Amino acid sequence: MHIPDAFLPIGQAIVYWIIALVFFALALRWAKRELNEARIPLVAVLAAGIFALQAFNLPIAMGTSGHLVGGALAAIVLGSPYGAVFILTLVLIIQGFIFGDGGITVMGANIINMGVIGGFVGFYSYKGLKAALGSPYISAGIAAWLACVIPALAASVELFIAGTFPLVPGLIAMGTYHAVIGVIEGAITAIALYLIATVRPDILELPAGAVAS
Amino acid sequence: MMEIRQLVIAGVALALVIGVAAVFFASGDPDGLESTALFVQGEKTLTGDSPEEGDPEAIGAGTFEYEAPMPDYTLGEDAGKPGEVMAIIAGIVISLVGVFAIARVASAGKA
Repeated sequence: MHIPDAFLPIGQAIVYWIIALVFFALALRWAKRELNEARIPLVAVLAAGIFALQAFNLPIAMGTSGHLVGGALAAIVLGSPYGAVFILTLVLIIQGFIFGDGGITVMGANIINMGVIGGFVGFYSYKGLKAALGSPYISAGIAAWLACVIPALAASVELFIAGTFPLVPGLIAMGTYHAVIGVIEGAITAIALYLIATVRPDILELPAGAVAS
Repeated sequence: MMEIRQLVIAGVALALVIGVAAVFFASGDPDGLESTALFVQGEKTLTGDSPEEGDPEAIGAGTFEYEAPMPDYTLGEDAGKPGEVMAIIAGIVISLVGVFAIARVASAGKA
């Protein structure tokens, strides 16, 4: 759901950039407080893995493809939505400036959608679902589905405000495609969380079986 | 329990396998946002196939243009699949090293 440069007028794009930079500043504060010698390599590997997975578009029928976004995964593994903001902002900067994937002027909007909304929706729905359901993996899968669909709907509203998409058809199409793409997001997030919890349960801020306070 | 060093090596190896596999097996269909852009332009139905020559960005009014050094995860059309493999490996390495370096700097100086 990387928005290209052509889709947002520059004035609106600047507003999204300012909001995104505020959240990235908060993410830097999180990094200063929470990251240590043991967790920094994990953050770097997560970024590399999310970059690779974002390049892997899987067919979802309807003449459309989709890939993992990774906001929920990063937030759940690092135990904070700011972990997602930190990683997704840097990955989106690399994708935009080096690979032309996602625009430059609109990068703030992409950071808000995938990093901020994806991270916050993924993290807090995971916490709530895990308290209710118990299973960290089912909770992570559903949370990741939400963290794919809700940013997609946010993007369609932003593109409506920009005058690029009509509101209802945009919401219907973005919602339909990302409801299916979200299944990929959910499955990969649950599998990745399982793999990490299996080899290093201590790294997870919210370890399997524990309910976050 | 796996050491951090082993975890990093395993994670990077997995990322490289996924990235290189993406070069050969990723779908060329437009993504959800591009498909929506084609749908709202009347270029495709909601559930139908996407047109071969459709331009999702035709609906955009923006004029800003930027030429990325490795556009669309390639080293240019002449470099073919080997170029795409190189580009994706470069992206994985840049993500790994770049995020590591920024995380180190961001976390430095705490009490």
